[in-house]
Amino acid sequence: MIPEATTKTTYQLPIGPIHPALKEPVAFEFEIDGERIVDVNVSLGQVHRSVEWAGMRRNPIQILYLAERICGICSYCHPMAFALAVERVAGIEVPERADYLRVIQAELERICSHILWAGVAAHEIGFDSVLFLTWQMREKALDLTEYLTGNRVTKAITMIGGVRRDITKDMVPKVTETLNYFKDNFEKLRHIFLDDKTFKMRSQGVGILTKEDALRLCACGPTTRASGVKKDVRLDQPYFAFGDLDFDYVTPDVLTGEVNGDVYDRIIVRLLEVKQSIGLIEQCLDKMPAGDIVSEPKIPKLLATLKKAKGEGIGRMEAPRGEVFHYVKLDENEYPYSWKVRAPTYNNIMPWIPMLRGEQIADIPIVAASTDPCMSCTNRVAVVDNGKKYVLDKEELHRLSVEKTRRLMA
Amino acid sequence: MTKQLTPEEIVKSFKDEFETKIKYARIEKHIAGTKKNELIHIWMSVDRSVFKNVVKHLMTLEEYPHLAVTSGYDTGKTIELVYHFSIYFGVRYREISLNITVELPKSNPTIETITDLIPGALITEQEKQEMLGIKVKGIPKDKRVFISDDFPKGVYPWRKDETGPEKMARNLHEVKK
Amino acid sequence: MRFSMLPQVFAQMFKKPWTNKFPAKYIPRSTTKFLDDVGSGKAKLIPPIETPEGFRGKIQYDTEKCTGCKLCIKVCPTEAIEYKEKEKKIKIYLARCCFCAQCTDVCPVNCLSMSNEFLLADADKYSKDLIVE
Repeated sequence: MIPEATTKTTYQLPIGPIHPALKEPVAFEFEIDGERIVDVNVSLGQVHRSVEWAGMRRNPIQILYLAERICGICSYCHPMAFALAVERVAGIEVPERADYLRVIQAELERICSHILWAGVAAHEIGFDSVLFLTWQMREKALDLTEYLTGNRVTKAITMIGGVRRDITKDMVPKVTETLNYFKDNFEKLRHIFLDDKTFKMRSQGVGILTKEDALRLCACGPTTRASGVKKDVRLDQPYFAFGDLDFDYVTPDVLTGEVNGDVYDRIIVRLLEVKQSIGLIEQCLDKMPAGDIVSEPKIPKLLATLKKAKGEGIGRMEAPRGEVFHYVKLDENEYPYSWKVRAPTYNNIMPWIPMLRGEQIADIPIVAASTDPCMSCTNRVAVVDNGKKYVLDKEELHRLSVEKTRRLMA
Repeated sequence: MTKQLTPEEIVKSFKDEFETKIKYARIEKHIAGTKKNELIHIWMSVDRSVFKNVVKHLMTLEEYPHLAVTSGYDTGKTIELVYHFSIYFGVRYREISLNITVELPKSNPTIETITDLIPGALITEQEKQEMLGIKVKGIPKDKRVFISDDFPKGVYPWRKDETGPEKMARNLHEVKK
Repeated sequence: MRFSMLPQVFAQMFKKPWTNKFPAKYIPRSTTKFLDDVGSGKAKLIPPIETPEGFRGKIQYDTEKCTGCKLCIKVCPTEAIEYKEKEKKIKIYLARCCFCAQCTDVCPVNCLSMSNEFLLADADKYSKDLIVE
């Protein structure tokens, strides 16, 4: 609560700890003046799963699968960032082909995540037919993931020193077929998201994050790029084979010539990144050299090497939502000495405060969703008004958002 | 923006400024891809007394250094914090990761806040307070972020000593069979 | 265009729905009863979408081949594998298994493999179907 802020004209609106737009529960306390948000207080929620603690009791191979379960959508980035960190400590060199295979998986995950996000964002403003269209496309991405890795969500493709599965020649046609499907449908999606009046009304000028705020608050990923900050680990510090590929920073001025840092810009950035990812996978398939896919195929031997390793390392990777950061300290022991995981949403929480200030209650879902925190559902929202407490649930908040769209359409 | 320095120049500029207060500094170079691009990670250990000035000095190199996160671990007698900065982003291949380690004695585990310089550091500082039992001097919102309010006081999940969470943990591997 | 989604929606009305209606067109009142009916041939099951090659489903264990080297226990992230001292064989609890196939990779004698069976839901985590030995 913000006790000193309580006056006759404003009231407080706590949202959370389970919020519509967050996997890690977060609690908001809004100070509301009529319909406008005057001030926001964000406090992180209470579902801490002690993943790092559990990791101290497992060997690095076991941690790969634990890290995979940190997030269902970034189930590739987390183990891979961990593997990068461990490889740097132990001085393991990754074969060139594995570097390319890693890029393909990373970009496939980005396509999957961004399309999923696009659907959720559409749902937040009450445009459900777009939700079904995008998720139909996502289904294709999941089918391809299943084909390449063996499962739809938990991919289990990461291995320290490489990847576990190769893309053989006879698998390439299926990949290109799916990529062509994406290319055909991308134009449709771009047209709906960027030209449709409904989207423009709800997203332009809403949830603005200025470039300075993005830099000062250490935002990352598409959230910061939409504010015009050129920050993308794939380009800044090219890991895997990203240094060999031809691509550039995606900022909204590529398309519109200006940067506003609003929700609309974040939609532009994500959509253009889908297109960029399709191109990157194609480039990889062209350029991929032949060779090994893992530096040490014998896992007992690999474990013995890791047991002798000592030192500290960081693994940074551009996940769909921003930079994933893993810090690992090994200590000539079976289990790591220290492990720190930082998911992109961790840094994208602070920017919510300037984004939400001055907006309406009905804009909360779309603004919060625009940074792409993992989507779950608001359990309930309690509105405290003059000491009387009543509950506003997720449907109610969603209804408010849909009503606003209808109002604007009329 | 001022001229971009090479990693060697960065280390030198810190050493010139803080001399013996920089306990060690090393430059790691890693390669990736067929073009063998170099990734540069600088690791530095600085004395607690100059830490804030080190961050200020870092801000003369890059106006807005990006603070990814602060890691921390318990070494037995001390607690070490690792601040992971990155500078010179925005131009391909140029970004440098700068990891600054600060050692805090367990008898007096305090450190100055850097939220006045980098407001984005708030959550990670709060997290270090509750996880490692350190005290960040001058932190704007002194409250718990990740662990719940009913979590017992004096237990710090990342500690490896008697204040650690070991006694609270049930052995998860014991399953009814 | 003002309503760019409308042509899509109209086109969709004349297309086959994307969803595969597994296990039946309309959700049965009791799934267990429905499955019993399928077993006795009274009802027909709409088949699930086929799994691709290399799918990681229920684990298969060849007891004969197993030498009891315990490597799989060492790499299993969920501790789903128990070692049977007497027989020098293993027992896998599928309720804990995370289907990463790390044990099948590490096995030196290839006695473990992944099948494409994925319908493993059960009310009892120690049921016969969920223990492989």
